[in-house]
Amino acid sequence: MKFSRLILKNLFRNKLRAGLTVALMASIFFFVATLLSILDNFEQAANAGEGKNRLGVQSAISLADMLPYAHEEKIRRIEGITETSKLQWVGAYYKEQKNFFANFAVDADKMERVWDDYRVPDDQRAAFKQDRQGTIVGPGLAERFGWKIGDRIVLTGTIFPFNPELNVRGIYEHAVDSASLFFQMAYFEQALGDPGQVGMFWVKVADADRMASVSEEIDALFRNSEYPTETFTEKEFQQQFISMIGNIKLLFTTVSLCAIFMIVLLGAITMSMSARERVTEIAVLRAIGYSRGAILGLMLTEFVLLALLGGAAGAFGANVFYRFIDMTKLTQGFLVNFGVSGPTILLCVAAALGVGLLSGGLPATRSANLSVVDGLRKVV
Amino acid sequence: MTALVTIDNVHKSYQRDEFEIRVLNGLTLEVPAGDFLALMGPSGSGKSTLLNLIAGIDRPTSGRVVVGGKEISTLGESKLASWRARHVGFIFQMYNLIPVLTAYENVELPLLLTRLTRKERRSHVEAALGIVGLGDRMQHYPRQLSGGQEQRVAIARAIVTDPTIIVADEPTGDLDAASAHEILDLLQNLNREFTKTIMMVTHDPRAAERARHVLHLDKGVLIEQVEGLVPGGTSEA
Repeated sequence: MKFSRLILKNLFRNKLRAGLTVALMASIFFFVATLLSILDNFEQAANAGEGKNRLGVQSAISLADMLPYAHEEKIRRIEGITETSKLQWVGAYYKEQKNFFANFAVDADKMERVWDDYRVPDDQRAAFKQDRQGTIVGPGLAERFGWKIGDRIVLTGTIFPFNPELNVRGIYEHAVDSASLFFQMAYFEQALGDPGQVGMFWVKVADADRMASVSEEIDALFRNSEYPTETFTEKEFQQQFISMIGNIKLLFTTVSLCAIFMIVLLGAITMSMSARERVTEIAVLRAIGYSRGAILGLMLTEFVLLALLGGAAGAFGANVFYRFIDMTKLTQGFLVNFGVSGPTILLCVAAALGVGLLSGGLPATRSANLSVVDGLRKVV
Repeated sequence: MTALVTIDNVHKSYQRDEFEIRVLNGLTLEVPAGDFLALMGPSGSGKSTLLNLIAGIDRPTSGRVVVGGKEISTLGESKLASWRARHVGFIFQMYNLIPVLTAYENVELPLLLTRLTRKERRSHVEAALGIVGLGDRMQHYPRQLSGGQEQRVAIARAIVTDPTIIVADEPTGDLDAASAHEILDLLQNLNREFTKTIMMVTHDPRAAERARHVLHLDKGVLIEQVEGLVPGGTSEA
């Protein structure tokens, strides 16, 4: 503590340089915190159905291929399955193409048993079931478009040749997903003239331990049929969805590491300059009795503090920034419930600590090992 | 009088590329406690090197350096740093104050290495700045002080730990005549009233006149043994 004034005064002796270094580190850690939070967001989305004992059944050929309704009855007969529901990705948008979000047709009477984590008040669910054109929407969507219960909304279809005309009958609550829209499969079938095929079945399994075996049984059942299936857990399904846009995790992690490596180098240059300017002062400190260890400790503390300041400013700054920015709207529904979490802030601060140690290590060691006589000779 | 500093057949040479530069050649000397010794000589004569050896910031190539009964030439780096903190006060030609610290904080620097409490440190710093006549400039930064005042702060920093010996390397070399006069008065006062042992390197004969004894070095050997110092002289050229 008694050295704190010495450290702090040295830290800000060149205010412009210290300010720019902190600003640079803060900007990069803001960027890193954003990338890590996007990955977090994907991970959360992938984990949203964890523990819900749900399996998704899709065509083994591709997600775009449909499965016949007849599959559903055969799947339901497998032991351990308590409920099944059809689900169709509709891919419609609201008013303008940029207003794109997840919208699905589902079996209205089965939804509450298969997707029991989507909580809807009883009266709203009853109203949804009674209205063939009823829809249940997420609170994020309702807020984004100003929808309220009783509103009539018209979506524009992109995949299927019809524009769903829907009545908002309920607003669901969900731990992660706040921006999806569900409407009745019956309305979808009516609009398309009873297609007899659907994109996916979702299956509720009674026992979590049986998920793997049920999954294998479903695929085995249709392996030699004209419409083979591929069954996923919800997490696998989400990950498959995300992987369609490439190996995001590898890309973001690599970019984050490159950014951090860059600030290690920039930090090392700045800190070397700072140490070089103080050669005589360090020699004086050594002369009056400061040991090598003391000099190393003082210099390293100073450099680490600078990096921590930048790291914390960037990570906390990102946390505050994204509280006030509607990322769902900004990313057209791609990122929902986006924010910089506590663990991400901690990770950034820990990375900043590493940056401080790495970039300050060499100049601090060189300063500590400076010959007193040589150091004094620079000026004396 | 008891010898505070004993230099016994000390050699010091530096290696510069393929050349060996011999700076001190078998120098032997004893300095009694309470002395004020001026070291004079042309550039390259070895006077600053001798001062550095006595101050424990350099080591002899061979020979013994004993200060206050302790042979410092054999101490390890860490022990030598602790020894300097306790026993040596430094005064440099260019003052070498830390520019971002106030006069008070500069003087407090050596005390941060001790176990003194904040209150005790304050009392020591105030006393030291009082001795050098800067009790009213404690919160001033070096840039807000004149050269003479900066050097007085440096002297306060040198005496604040009550060291065994004060080493001064050209303490008036960067000052005008009036300021130099004040600094020499101060050093003389520290020697006479506070019985501080002072070793000073200088080129200035007027500064050397203030010392009790003057030694002349040339090419690493003592060329004049001034009365009052215990004889030892040079062993070889």
